[in-house]
Amino acid sequence: MKSSFFKSATRALSSRKAATGKLIAAAAIACSTVVTPLAAQDEGPIIVVSGPLSWPFFAAVKQGFDDAAELYGVDYQYIAVTDTANMTSDYPRLLQQAISRNPRMLLVGEFFPDGMDPLIKEATAADIPVLIHNSGQTLWEQNGSIGFVGEDPYQMGYKAGEIQADAGVKKGLCFNQVPGNPTVEERCNGYVAAMKEAGAETIYQTIGTGDATNPQAMTQAIKGTLQVNADIDGIYTLNAVPAMSALRAVDEIGRKGEVMIGTADLSNEVLLAIKSGDLAFAMDQQPYLQGFMSIQIAYQYLNFGLHPIGHVKTGPLVIDQSNVDKTLEVNKEHAGVRGAS
Amino acid sequence: MRSFLHRPETGAAAAFLLTYLFFAIFTADAGFVSVNGTAGWLNLASELGIIAIPIGLLMISGEFDLSIGSTVGAASMIVAIGTNQFGMPIWPMIFIALIAGMIIGLCNGLAVVKTNLPSFIVTLATNFIVIGATMGFSRLIANVTSGSIIVSDSSKFVFAARWGQANISIAWWILAALLGFWVLSRTVFGNWIYATGGNLQAARGAGVPVERVKIILFIATGFAAAFVGVLQGIQWNSGNSTYGMGYVFQAPIVVVIGGILLTGGYGSVLGVVIGTALFGVISTGIFYTGWNTDWIQLFLGALLGAAVLANNYVRRLALTSR
Repeated sequence: MKSSFFKSATRALSSRKAATGKLIAAAAIACSTVVTPLAAQDEGPIIVVSGPLSWPFFAAVKQGFDDAAELYGVDYQYIAVTDTANMTSDYPRLLQQAISRNPRMLLVGEFFPDGMDPLIKEATAADIPVLIHNSGQTLWEQNGSIGFVGEDPYQMGYKAGEIQADAGVKKGLCFNQVPGNPTVEERCNGYVAAMKEAGAETIYQTIGTGDATNPQAMTQAIKGTLQVNADIDGIYTLNAVPAMSALRAVDEIGRKGEVMIGTADLSNEVLLAIKSGDLAFAMDQQPYLQGFMSIQIAYQYLNFGLHPIGHVKTGPLVIDQSNVDKTLEVNKEHAGVRGAS
Repeated sequence: MRSFLHRPETGAAAAFLLTYLFFAIFTADAGFVSVNGTAGWLNLASELGIIAIPIGLLMISGEFDLSIGSTVGAASMIVAIGTNQFGMPIWPMIFIALIAGMIIGLCNGLAVVKTNLPSFIVTLATNFIVIGATMGFSRLIANVTSGSIIVSDSSKFVFAARWGQANISIAWWILAALLGFWVLSRTVFGNWIYATGGNLQAARGAGVPVERVKIILFIATGFAAAFVGVLQGIQWNSGNSTYGMGYVFQAPIVVVIGGILLTGGYGSVLGVVIGTALFGVISTGIFYTGWNTDWIQLFLGALLGAAVLANNYVRRLALTSR
């Protein structure tokens, strides 16, 4: 709940924003060939198009948005899918709807570039400022966005591959529970590349989309693969739920302790498993920062025309036994901030 | 022989045998037919199976329930928030979660019989409402949409005990199957279920309380879904609002494979059990082949299609040879 103080602060901000907006608009007309009339964006909302809140990860992103919005006295609207079955087509549609409302600024997670990139170009061509977060790290410079806040999924996977290769893993399994998501796939690509460079073998495994949230199905899938490939000695999972499934699968085939398991993203269970030594590491891309810094940049851009140049990198932060205690502590005191629940 | 062929589960049983042999041969050295491999696919099938049995009865009575997916997640979150956020002991929370599942079922049942709208649409709406409410309230109360569950030894035993690698869920599945079998084939209520789905007007005319039958079956379905939510939550020490979303379609699929007609009025509990087992074998066995997993859904679809066709063929054979 926002107090009335924040509401009045936002109103004051809006009028100042109007002035800044006009300045920018005038500048845009003066030095470019924009012929379309400018949208009435000064009073429009700040719209965030981001990930589904059923995922703890995006719950933490939203927590960052909320906290920064309250701190800076900014109002914004969070738009996301609730049903994750058709995200590839749902996200472009959501983005289209957001653009058609003439937002003052768009903060977008560019999860599905094929459908979303043309729309972002449309928005930037209509002088709607766009800031990308979480996904879209290779695209923002071409589509006219002002910047990017988030991880480089390839680097994230690469780091995981490096850690495992350094630890002596000879054959690594990358388990992708959401095949078809290019950002998530990049993590596996990075992992595979790092392992290959170190001379290790890799296997890439996917699972049917209906089972992406069924830990039992993922356990049995990983167990099957481990049975066929008895020489797998490293596993990299791309989310916290499959990480626990991988642990169970390794346990079930009686090879606990022989297979090094690391994962992307966090959960309380993952952190406890790192503490007990069952999991080797988790890659944290600090989702809270992605939301918080997006609002921060939006505030500074809309008011002062300022913004960081280039990538703002929020990951990967490697969480292992050396720093897991602190993370668990924060997770207990500030539920939802670490994206680990 | 004729009466054997005429049974609804014969087609599914034939498909199950063929599929099992297929994987037994193609995964000969990977241990799919070993004790542990068998426990693996049974674990997977049992969780789906506990829900599929009441869904089967409901479909025989001529109705669908697509809200099971979000009920599973909701039940797991109720237990998670209760034990973790409010420090409640786990058993009362399990009880509340099961009641919540039954209330969701009751709402579905009342909405369907009072409005006469297709249950396919009504329960699809419920599915969205329940997952939305789960997430909304979870966030409001605990600021999370998934969370750890603090378990007790007794709850761990009832819902997550393991013998070797076989989960206690298999025993619950068998129990649910026996109960479903008894109700459907040994009680008056079972006859009412067939009558309601077979010919609604005739059943009503004959004095069958069709509305009560449907509402009770919806409640049973909600209860089963909540039960599996509690089971998954305790097994994995964590609740998650998205648990069970795969079941929305998997449950009706295995019911149809098991020989229950989509239009209602025909089918058996044994058929549903075999259909679920078939699904468990296919979706687990495929990973023991070591084939490129990008093809999995293609194989799964093709095998399911073949299973349903075989099923249909056997049934037609049975009906014409009468």
